[in-house]
Amino acid sequence: MLSAGCGLGGRLQLPEGSAATSAGASVPRTSWASGRKGLNPTAAEGRRGVAGVCVGAPAVGAADSAWLLHTLRQAAMKDSLVLLGRVPAHPDSRCWFLAWNPAGTLLASCGGDRRVRIWGTEGDSWICKSVLSEGHQRTVRKVAWSPCGNYLASASFDATTCIWKKNQDDFECVTTLEGHENEVKSVAWAPSGNLLATCSRDKSVWVWEVDEEDEYECVSVLNSHTQDVKHVVWHPNQELLASASYDDTVKLYREEEDDWVCCATLEGHESTVWSLAFDPSGQRLASCSDDRTVRIWRQYPPGNEQGVACSGSDPSWKCICTLSGFHSRTIYDVAWCQLTGALATACGDDAIRVFEEDPSSDPQQPTFSLTAHLPQAHSQDVNCVAWNPKEPGLLASCSDDGEVAFWKYQRPEGL
Amino acid sequence: MAGSQDMFDAIVMADERFHGEGYQEGYEEGSTLGIIEGRQHGTLHGAKIGSEIGCYQGFAFAWRCLLHTCAAEKDSKKMKVLESLIGLIEKFPYDDPTYDKLHEDLDRIRGKFKQLCSLLNVQPDFKISVEGSGLSF
Repeated sequence: MLSAGCGLGGRLQLPEGSAATSAGASVPRTSWASGRKGLNPTAAEGRRGVAGVCVGAPAVGAADSAWLLHTLRQAAMKDSLVLLGRVPAHPDSRCWFLAWNPAGTLLASCGGDRRVRIWGTEGDSWICKSVLSEGHQRTVRKVAWSPCGNYLASASFDATTCIWKKNQDDFECVTTLEGHENEVKSVAWAPSGNLLATCSRDKSVWVWEVDEEDEYECVSVLNSHTQDVKHVVWHPNQELLASASYDDTVKLYREEEDDWVCCATLEGHESTVWSLAFDPSGQRLASCSDDRTVRIWRQYPPGNEQGVACSGSDPSWKCICTLSGFHSRTIYDVAWCQLTGALATACGDDAIRVFEEDPSSDPQQPTFSLTAHLPQAHSQDVNCVAWNPKEPGLLASCSDDGEVAFWKYQRPEGL
Repeated sequence: MAGSQDMFDAIVMADERFHGEGYQEGYEEGSTLGIIEGRQHGTLHGAKIGSEIGCYQGFAFAWRCLLHTCAAEKDSKKMKVLESLIGLIEKFPYDDPTYDKLHEDLDRIRGKFKQLCSLLNVQPDFKISVEGSGLSF
């Protein structure tokens, strides 16, 4: 039996000669207590932090080559995602979202306890540097850092969005954006730093402009979706906004003569689209859904070589890849690493998965392979996965169990 | 003998014939009633939309007068959005219920109104109740 497991309370147990020990994976020994009730280390060992899948003795039989291939694949993926540590970020409630600051030194987490926490490293462990309370009356659903790293926006079910200004380790709420009729589901800062987008259960997407004096002004209220809007994200280098909704579609918006308009609607998902992520170049968009698939969409500008039709001057978007059959439950989040191009997913089956594009695949019809699969990454639904923007392979995840986990991903050999 | 065939035919098929005739009569009556009901429904629905847009228009006109008197630098953005809202409302084809972009344009007007409220720092609260619509700020 090949297996690797991490116990709670900082003890790392690894079988002799396993790849993780030889790679010298460092594990923080303090900083998190077993704040979970009713868990004893032995029961936890089997469930928590299993990096890979337990593989039994291979069946002898040349005919079963498919099974053998599967086994070898599983073995190769065994240590591709290794647990570095866990913190009980939002005890007795859910941790909804995580955001790394642009420098990659701080991680903001938010949760059902109405608080935002800022985590930083101290030696080998992660500690809570600040707690932002008194900002919201209800669950904080998402947080987002400004591109300069000096501001943090928090979107809450109390229908407001708070803007916090960073002053060393302190954060001060400088503005509260109001206007949505009910729960704000997401907030995102444009790469230029001048624009902010929010979206809500009231089916609208709001675009705000910030000036030099930190004054926020609403530039547009977009009522294109027909249901609850779950997520908004900006394009990495164009002024293009994308939104995902309970109405099963993804919509794209751009500015046209002082106003924002919906310039594309991406249809294809069969259920709620929960999250979106652009690839490092911004040419492709990944969406994940309650229909248990991840779809990759590609932008085709007018006059493109592939002959994809466009209406007017707006580019067309086509679904070029669908990852199905990998997830057994709703996929709540998808994150595209801006450094390595790896795609991570957060699933309702408590697992984290990582996919990488096959190097030889056709850019117009790419294929992605599963390079890491960690069942029981958390003890409940995984709500968010976030790649560190500076350290390749460093991944953070959070869950309904209130915990934040840190992982080291390494692309397995031969996959 | 052919005559008695027809007579029996009429008796035997009577049930089906009456069924058919009854259906036709009922269908016509139903259609007429349906049109009347639909008209009532349409009138109500149209009035609701008209009332909503009228409200936005009144709001916009009032604020335009208010802002005219104190024209500051900062107000130029507000005026622009105001004029844009008034423009959208005036351009809307009120007499064409089959206008293909009806809902899209209505949503644009609603979005513009919300944006204007945000800029003016005004929180509208619509109460359309039996006593009549009220608007409190």
